[in-house]
Amino acid sequence: MMTFAPYFLILPLAAFAIQIFFGKRLPRKGDWVSITAVGTTLCLAIAMFVMMLFLYEPGAKAEQSFEWFNLGELSVKIGVLIDNVTVIMLLVVALVSGLVHLYSVGYMKDDPRYSRYFGYLSLFTFSMNGIILSNNLLSIYMFWELVGLSSYLLIGFWFEKDSAANASKKAFLVNRVGDIGMFIGIMLFFTATGSFLFSDIFAGVAAGALPLPLLTVAGLCLFAGAIGKSAQVPLHVWLPDAMEGPTPVSALIHAATMVAAGVYLTFRMFPLFTPEALTVIAYVGGVTAIFAAIIAVTQNDIKRVLAYSTVSQLGYMVMAIGTGAYVAGFFHLTTHAAFKAALFLCSGSVIHAMHHAYHKLGDHDSDPQDMRNMGGMKSKMKITFLTMFMATLALSGVPFMSGFLSKDAILAGTLSFATHHPEHFLLPLFGFGAALLTAFYMFRLIFMTFYGKPAKQEVLDNIHESPATMTTPLIVLATLSIFIVYTLPYINPFSDHGWFTDLIVATNSVVPQHVNPSAHEIAEGIHHAHLPAMIISLIVAFTGIALAVVIYLKKKFSAEKLAKNLALPYKLSFNKFFVDEIYDRFLINPTIKLAKAVGFFDWEIYDKYFINGFGRITERLSRFIGITMDYDVLDQQIVDGVGKSTRFFGGALKFIQTGKIQNYLVWVLGGIIIIFIIQAM
Amino acid sequence: MLENYTPLLLVFMLAAGFAFLLLTLSHLLGPKVKSAIKLSPYESGVDPIAPAHVRLSIKYFLIALLFVIFDIEIVFLFPWAVIFKDFVQSGSFIFIEMLVFMLILLFGLVFVWKKGALDWD
Amino acid sequence: MFIPELILVGSMLLGIFADLFYDRKHSFRVGHWIIGGLVVAALALYLTPASESITLFMGTIVADPFARMFKYIFLLTTTIVILMSLRTDELKTVRTGEYYLLIAAITLGMFLMASSVDLIMIYLSIEVVSIVSFILAGYLKTQVRSTEASLKYVIYGAFSSGIMLYGFSLLFGLTGTTKLFEIRESLAALDGGTLTLTVATIMIMAGFGYKISAVPFHFWTPDVYEGAPTPITAFLSVGPKAAGFALLIRVFNTLFTGTDALTASVWQSLEGLPWQEVMAALAAITMTLGNVLAIQQSNVKRLLAYSSIAHAGYILMGIPVLSQSGIYAVMFYVVVYLFMQLGAFFVVITIKNKFGTEEIEEYGGIGFKSPYLGVIMAIFLFSLTGLPPTAGFIGKFYLFSAVIDAKMYWLAIVGALNSVIALYYYMRIVKMMYLQGEREDELYMPSKFQSILLAVLAVPTIIFGVYWTPIADWIRNSLVFFLP
Repeated sequence: MMTFAPYFLILPLAAFAIQIFFGKRLPRKGDWVSITAVGTTLCLAIAMFVMMLFLYEPGAKAEQSFEWFNLGELSVKIGVLIDNVTVIMLLVVALVSGLVHLYSVGYMKDDPRYSRYFGYLSLFTFSMNGIILSNNLLSIYMFWELVGLSSYLLIGFWFEKDSAANASKKAFLVNRVGDIGMFIGIMLFFTATGSFLFSDIFAGVAAGALPLPLLTVAGLCLFAGAIGKSAQVPLHVWLPDAMEGPTPVSALIHAATMVAAGVYLTFRMFPLFTPEALTVIAYVGGVTAIFAAIIAVTQNDIKRVLAYSTVSQLGYMVMAIGTGAYVAGFFHLTTHAAFKAALFLCSGSVIHAMHHAYHKLGDHDSDPQDMRNMGGMKSKMKITFLTMFMATLALSGVPFMSGFLSKDAILAGTLSFATHHPEHFLLPLFGFGAALLTAFYMFRLIFMTFYGKPAKQEVLDNIHESPATMTTPLIVLATLSIFIVYTLPYINPFSDHGWFTDLIVATNSVVPQHVNPSAHEIAEGIHHAHLPAMIISLIVAFTGIALAVVIYLKKKFSAEKLAKNLALPYKLSFNKFFVDEIYDRFLINPTIKLAKAVGFFDWEIYDKYFINGFGRITERLSRFIGITMDYDVLDQQIVDGVGKSTRFFGGALKFIQTGKIQNYLVWVLGGIIIIFIIQAM
Repeated sequence: MLENYTPLLLVFMLAAGFAFLLLTLSHLLGPKVKSAIKLSPYESGVDPIAPAHVRLSIKYFLIALLFVIFDIEIVFLFPWAVIFKDFVQSGSFIFIEMLVFMLILLFGLVFVWKKGALDWD
Repeated sequence: MFIPELILVGSMLLGIFADLFYDRKHSFRVGHWIIGGLVVAALALYLTPASESITLFMGTIVADPFARMFKYIFLLTTTIVILMSLRTDELKTVRTGEYYLLIAAITLGMFLMASSVDLIMIYLSIEVVSIVSFILAGYLKTQVRSTEASLKYVIYGAFSSGIMLYGFSLLFGLTGTTKLFEIRESLAALDGGTLTLTVATIMIMAGFGYKISAVPFHFWTPDVYEGAPTPITAFLSVGPKAAGFALLIRVFNTLFTGTDALTASVWQSLEGLPWQEVMAALAAITMTLGNVLAIQQSNVKRLLAYSSIAHAGYILMGIPVLSQSGIYAVMFYVVVYLFMQLGAFFVVITIKNKFGTEEIEEYGGIGFKSPYLGVIMAIFLFSLTGLPPTAGFIGKFYLFSAVIDAKMYWLAIVGALNSVIALYYYMRIVKMMYLQGEREDELYMPSKFQSILLAVLAVPTIIFGVYWTPIADWIRNSLVFFLP
């Protein structure tokens, strides 16, 4: 299996290079290059997956490290780690990426920068594979940054739109904030254990290299990177804006894979977190889950709803890790990748159709993404409707779908955690509350888009189903949202027991002094909480769906009237709790003011002195003798003087080279004599 | 250790200084009259017939070089000839060795021949 | 064994033979024969055991891993230079059969330089290299500056060799033997005659300094580099210089050090002979002068000549630190320097062929007219300056860390300041290429052969800046000197 590993990196990277340098000149603008590369990685991933199933060993692991460079005492090793988790992640990335590539052929047709788009997609696949395959924090960090770069390039793909350019900048900068914390965490671990490799760090921590308080801090610093990348509160602000990018990009990066990178990192680093760190992580996840779910309830842009839904689901995954049910979190990551990608691609299909309809009608003002402009599409876009409906069922946690199993596992985890630590009762509350809201807003989306009467009949007349290149991925992904995909060889729709839970097992924490519960204890707790969690989640899901039916399908209660009556919660939800505005006012504007002040000082005062010549200096000197004379002399002497004297010496010395051989020979003798005299002294 | 050479140094300085002194004094004290006739090169009193630079044909130089090379080859042959008798009993290695040496120089000769350096033209 | 050298001789003979049958237009085919010979020699070198360490020819030559590594470097340099020569327009006017033969001869000389452990053999090998360089520098008989360069080189070289020989003879007079290892033992037992020893050392340093163009023995460099055909300039700035360094390391560490220089990781110099301070001072002056003078140049070839003087100064820093890490740094830098210097010169050749100029002022806009050349030249210039992520940076890093380890902080500071000065004139070329001139519609792409050769030189420059472990390991394994 290790022999396949380089291909996951080389193929997409080569595709990226070819697309960027030669893409425009290739036939069909070279989309087949990227598709071939991703397709090959998909075949390899499937092969590895099959191998894993044959082996059927829960703790299978293959690792290979090599020394990157050696500076005497400092030896830095990097390498590749392949275990069951890696295989599943590789498959997820390859599959979703491949389907997105296919989908993009239809979606991005006729775009002027078509070849560049595929190049960027390949770059992203390369970077994501790099994160998955790493066995050490250093290369994870490098690929982490690369993934951030790919995200920046893809979000801002239509950079003519100001909103897109700003959104990509925002994404990159917010990620950067998280990355600072991550880097500090990496360095803390490196200083304590002397290596970047996971195995070395785990061993070092188990041996007590870090005192517990510092270990908590280091763990949380690492988690900071995940907060940024996986859009947890308070660094979630970039994800909704990232919807400015093309929809396939949103599906690939901001639903299934890149945002999952943060969860993946936390998952890998789980054994390092102390109970305090895990509690913080659980709360971050829980708050994110409920926070985003509340906002999603009132959004009208179809992609925004899905974006906030993603933030909320990521919160779920993080909360799962925090409460100890981290296998459940990974399970949800996998199932979520499938149905969220399906949802995004379906929404893309809908938007695509709306766009074409508006184009035909000559309407360039209406927003093709606003759900209030949609309605009744069920009859016109059958495949899209069916697949989106299936994915929605999965997301809402309806039985017989994969989402039900994974969400259930997470909720069982939170319930078990709260049972053992009753002071953390808020966590299951957040969890179940978010589940209710999720079911509600998702079905709201379905009803507003596909059912009822359309806002404008002419629009609906011009709607038609999307081409096969776009609908095929939808079908594939929706099929993968059915429960049986994950529970084979068992077929109990109410139990998550299957090949997945067999192969992905929890490992014990390496935090010393046994402060963490062991994997066994956590599994026990989850097992006991399973049934109550399932019952409550079923109740909650159906309540949400019922509410959506009542308000949006049967229209028994008017949504607008409800909004007016619950004015304050509605306003908070619709305006995303004003988080962006708060950041703007208290963080961004003061920083800009400070930058302006420093810039003013630098340009108006420092620079004007330096550039203008002696006249102005002399003039100022006579005016500000005491204060500025010191500063000025120092600057002129050192900076200017050195440059000038170097030039002067150059100019003077070049005359030594006279071209006359006699002079040269004199220098030889002279040099010898001078050296002799000098060394004798 | 070098103290013994001090008188020598003194003599040297004296001689060089004397010569230097004479030259300097004559330069400073002597009359400076420049005329065209005085500055032209001396050729037994008559006007110079040909320019002072004589261009020699380079073929003389080439012949001299080739002579040196092949002469050295012969020089190497002499000691070889002297010890030849003692070594030839232990095999023909000594013969082959000299043969190779001469072969290399033969190559050189052929090269020089073909390039036309031996043509006296 | 002596097999690679014999193969070189054989290929020379073959070349001589072949040259007789080619007419003037096709005489460059001899170059192909010579390349073949070089490849076979490299193969033979590869097949010799890597760790053998023996003397040949009655103790005048050694074959040890140190020499082996340098032989590879020479073979690589020569091959690349021959490939460069096959494509330069300068040489199309003259008969080039002998040219390639002479290059093979110089390679043989360099091989001997890296392997000599006897005073006479050292002198002999230096002379072989020097004399053939004289001829090659003046190869373009019809151009005045080529003949002028050659003549100056001859006179200067003869003079410096004479001085070096005088130093050798003093050494011989002191110790009664010409073999380095025996001299070393005699010197250790000596306690008088230190003055003679000092004078001899300085004279030997003068001779070696001439070969590596250290100040104040560098005066021939700008004239010769400017006048010689550009491939020869490239060759002279890398090959004989590297050979000179190999010789310098071997001679100075064998003769003038107290404890076991060739095996210990840090060692002392001989009592009463402060040669390493002198050498450190020479290194500092060399780099400073080279860089300062390069600023004023308007001719790219001359600028690269002065910059090669400066680089000799950088490399020279690694020897007076008297440690294994210093020698390692020197060897690493030589390898890296090979690629960037040859690359830069080849770009100059290509630009001369196409645009017909060597003046910096007329390099304007080349970055737009020929993006390929612009990028590659920028890569080489960045590497020469020593900016990451190029190999030049790693080389300088090793040199500086060796110097700082030996606590010669002043030297490191001088080196750093010099790098800053160097940045100016290197970036001036880049600026010329990219920030002056206008875009043109038709782009010039060098011929396939030239592009491939340029890529072959540019790619290692970047790769070794990121992943240099193979080179590091190879050099570490080669840092084994022969000991009797």
